[in-house]
Amino acid sequence: MITVNGLRKRFGATTALDGMTFTVQPGQVTGFVGPNGAGKSTTMRVVLGLDAADAGEALVDGHPYRALCHPLRHVGSLLDAAAVSPGRTARNHLLWLAHSQGLGPRRVDEVLDTVGLTSVARRRAGGFSLGMRQRLGIAAALLGDPPTLMLDEPFNGMDPEGIIWMRRLTRELAAGGRAVLVSSHLMSQLQDIADHVVVAGRGRVLADASVTQLLAAVSDGRVTVRSAAARAAAVLAGGGGSVTVAGDGTLVVTGLPAEAIAALLSRNGVPFSELAAHRATLEDAYLELTRDAVEYRAADPAAADPAAADPAAAAPAATPGKAL
Amino acid sequence: MNTVRAEWTKLRTSLGTCALLVAMVAGTVAVSAAAAGFSDPLPGADLPRLSLTGVQLGQAVVAILAVLAVGDEYASGLAVVTFTAMPRRSRVLAAKALVVAAAVAAAAAVAVAGSVAVGRFLLPEHALAARPAIGSVLYLVLIGLLSLGIATGVRSPAAGMGVVLALLYALPIVNTAVADPAWQRRLLRIEPVSAGLAVQITGGAPAIGPWKGLGVLALWAVGALLAGAVLLERRDA
Repeated sequence: MITVNGLRKRFGATTALDGMTFTVQPGQVTGFVGPNGAGKSTTMRVVLGLDAADAGEALVDGHPYRALCHPLRHVGSLLDAAAVSPGRTARNHLLWLAHSQGLGPRRVDEVLDTVGLTSVARRRAGGFSLGMRQRLGIAAALLGDPPTLMLDEPFNGMDPEGIIWMRRLTRELAAGGRAVLVSSHLMSQLQDIADHVVVAGRGRVLADASVTQLLAAVSDGRVTVRSAAARAAAVLAGGGGSVTVAGDGTLVVTGLPAEAIAALLSRNGVPFSELAAHRATLEDAYLELTRDAVEYRAADPAAADPAAADPAAAAPAATPGKAL
Repeated sequence: MNTVRAEWTKLRTSLGTCALLVAMVAGTVAVSAAAAGFSDPLPGADLPRLSLTGVQLGQAVVAILAVLAVGDEYASGLAVVTFTAMPRRSRVLAAKALVVAAAVAAAAAVAVAGSVAVGRFLLPEHALAARPAIGSVLYLVLIGLLSLGIATGVRSPAAGMGVVLALLYALPIVNTAVADPAWQRRLLRIEPVSAGLAVQITGGAPAIGPWKGLGVLALWAVGALLAGAVLLERRDA
């Protein structure tokens, strides 16, 4: 278990951490998200005793990391998958790490098997793709069979198969009772794997909530109903919903769940062609929370719009109304 | 103990270690052989010292080995992994110093024995002297430790090599340019190379005694390692 309490850290004029506080609980995957520069990596480095915080404390199983005798048996971490000696083989890289924790070569072969690198174990890590290095980094993190795992951007550089593998692995590790912290700057990568999310921005925690809570907070319970019948609005209003008519037969209903709306319309014999509950995604929640915390925002909103990259969409984007 | 074992495994499985140790032995013996074979020493010349000339090349290879032992970790980012696995950083540096010293001592013993054997073969009148030989092995070990400490301080293989090679080769050149003989002698007594290599001298009036000179080099090495350890503990990894 990791406890981060009031961490502050400055690099020159930049404030990297500004009171970062959260805990990583066992048995669940905690997503650690935030835009670049939010302090995610710095927090992890402080937890691992690599960077010293100016204030606050980070504890692993109740102890400062640097006081741990065999730290890899407490926390397995992957900060930078590229950090291997290019000339050393994958197996030898894990072997010296194993020796540093009083472990033997048998454990090395076990973790190589877990991450699927057995066939390339005696190849030099310098020739590995980023995806293979990520797997090697995961093998190193699993070496001490730790109760806590901390992975910084583990999906970077992985192919789709690797991403699926990584998602399944993190789920399995949490299901086995481990505390798993996974950082990402893409909320969508954490959808379906994180049970709990810590959203960081500008060195602080913006939100620390279960995924269910977070989704409930952003989804406002809107339901879109499309019906040609003119009395639809009256029926729904009579049933307790507040109805906004959006034109061309579309109604936006709040205050009634989708099931109740369907039942109400059917009971009153109102035909409808569409009934859609507005479902918030983690991405929506994240964008909502980090709106003010994005450090490097594109100056022109049109440039940040993916549609603007499309040549067909370039012309409307350049209309005087949008140009700055 | 685990730290020493881990650092030993790391050094052993590093791509360059073996090649550098072989190069060190070969280079030292070859230069010693050339010095002994091609020179025409006057009677009374310092023959044991002559047959150990190769140490002056060997020290460069030792320096490369020691600088890379720590510098490569910073160049590849592996230092972060090292200090995550072994957060007691001074202990890591001590373990590194121990394994580098052991590897260098083993190779230096072979190199020095080879040089002495070749020297004896090429210069038969040459009396065997134990102190220059043993002292040369210790000298190379201390050069390795000095280089390790410097590389830990500068955290980059290129900068580490620059500083170490300047100490080993540029400083003696500067020294020859000093006009005042009294100052020149003073400098010879405090510079790592000239003081350390006094251990090879068997005749004449050296600026500093053989063991005292080696002690000066040892102070340099200890100083560099301590400075490296302090920086290691204080800085963010």
